Amino acid sequence: MKNPRLDLSRRKLLFGALQSAGLILLSGCEKMFNSLQENKKFLSLLDSAEDLNLRVQRFLTPRNKLAQEFSPQDISRYFKANGNPPPITMDYLADAARQWSEWRLKVSGLVTKPVQFSLSELKSMPSRTQITRHDCVEGWSAIAKWKGVPLAGIVQRVQPSSKANYVVLHCMDTDDQGTNYYESIDLIDASHPQTILAYEMNDRPLPIEHGAPLRLRVENQLGYKHAKYIQAIEFVADYKNIRQGKGGYWEDQGYEWFAGI
Amino acid sequence: MQPLVYRHNRVTRLTHWINAIALVILFMSGLQIFNAFPHLHWGSKAEPREALFSVAAIDEDGDVRGYTELLGHRMDTTGVLGVQFTESGPLARAFPSWITIPGYFWLAGGRRWHFFFGWLFALNGLLYFVYNLLNGHVRKFLFTFHDAAKVPAMILYYLHVRRESPQEGEYNPLQKLAYTSVFVILTPLVLLSGMAMSPQLDMAFHWMPAMFGGRQAARTVHFLLAFGFVSFTFGHVFMVLTTGVFNNMRSMVTGWYKEKVPTHVEIVSETATMSPSPARVPTLALEGEGKGEGAQQADAKPNDQTPVPERKVDSESNPKDEGHADEKPKA
Repeated sequence: MKNPRLDLSRRKLLFGALQSAGLILLSGCEKMFNSLQENKKFLSLLDSAEDLNLRVQRFLTPRNKLAQEFSPQDISRYFKANGNPPPITMDYLADAARQWSEWRLKVSGLVTKPVQFSLSELKSMPSRTQITRHDCVEGWSAIAKWKGVPLAGIVQRVQPSSKANYVVLHCMDTDDQGTNYYESIDLIDASHPQTILAYEMNDRPLPIEHGAPLRLRVENQLGYKHAKYIQAIEFVADYKNIRQGKGGYWEDQGYEWFAGI
Repeated sequence: MQPLVYRHNRVTRLTHWINAIALVILFMSGLQIFNAFPHLHWGSKAEPREALFSVAAIDEDGDVRGYTELLGHRMDTTGVLGVQFTESGPLARAFPSWITIPGYFWLAGGRRWHFFFGWLFALNGLLYFVYNLLNGHVRKFLFTFHDAAKVPAMILYYLHVRRESPQEGEYNPLQKLAYTSVFVILTPLVLLSGMAMSPQLDMAFHWMPAMFGGRQAARTVHFLLAFGFVSFTFGHVFMVLTTGVFNNMRSMVTGWYKEKVPTHVEIVSETATMSPSPARVPTLALEGEGKGEGAQQADAKPNDQTPVPERKVDSESNPKDEGHADEKPKA
């Protein structure tokens, strides 16, 4: 025979105990997770997922399969301009006023034919126009129409040596510490038909907040890979020797080099 | 003393606890990722002021308030969502630090946890499912039309309206419904909606974001399904705690479970002696192991009509063998 009152007080005790255990557990967990986050070995264990993502996602994507392209009515009314503020120096603004007549895109590194392009030269090259979705690492998406030069054409033109594995994009914008933005993609993504150096957005010259005069579109990756304000392209064997060695501005701060997810 | 039966195999126990850890970390690191853009949208893009759900902090003349907006209905959630009170004053933050991984705001960190444990969750789940599909265990909790008919009776039983449990095998119809929906709906959809947020996978499989109604819709679905897992977990833990926490925990740690005689049996056996009804025996005999009404009223005549579910049973602790009922299983 059970005493219902005893049962009730036992239940109360149980819930009370659970509640306090829960609270202790929560604050303990927060500390534990935070300290694990600082642990180098644990971090490199977590990092193994990035390599797995790259291999599996590459494996699942047929070469030259195109990202979904949208129709003009899908274009976002608002397209957030994330990242560093535009590099509004006197030189930059003066050149913007001259329609970028001084600006040059320097292509160099492990190539047989280093070359410089003016914006009008780039515009006279075969172009590609695409309405695609931009996915920010923060979580939002926006759709815009982009026109630009396929990077594959430039890769062909400069003839990278067999040692070249990556394309590094050096940018004009800096953060508040004065560190320049940069990014890198491998030659597989650089040769994708939708990977373009865009100089037009929504049928107008690329606006300053979106990276004028030239930005990258690499449609299989997140927004931070789409470097803005590009001034030079360098072909390298490895990005380990550039800056902090992670292959990009955000990568140096802990974000994945492969931003396919 | 009831005998112990070997209920959960080694793979089930191992994958269960890995899954438990992975789910907690996925949920908490997922909220860290959500905090980077605390708005949920439908469709492919996230147009401002078109969010279905938003968490925001607003400075009202020096008083920072946290707001949560669902379909245009705004609620002050200061202290929990939007604004959190810390030792150094109010902090604008969608989900508070105690429920995110890492505890401080760091999207890159949250992503690394999330993707590592995402893989662990998927591969661990696959191991569990394939192993238990091959040994036939999955069939025991697969919800069928036959079980659907028993759901109302099971609800009434839980509500103490009905005295007899309609349970037949190891799992009752509501348990089967819960487990089956986790395996057939929740898990595949949470993985797919997560993958539909990947621009690389969206390039490979255009149908992936499309099946949810766009990438932002997939993000919303992913968020909702995460809370589906939370409600399942709460229900699951509640049942574990209220149906014999020690026995339940032992079975998921060591594998050994003490067969239970349903509490209603004492009462039922009284009525049953008045009107023995052999036709009802199978439904009453919980676990089909000859306990319940059949065993109570017919000690001399063991109930053999009851179907015996497949189960690994230590011969010495065979619950049908009343003579050895007190023996403990060999470790």
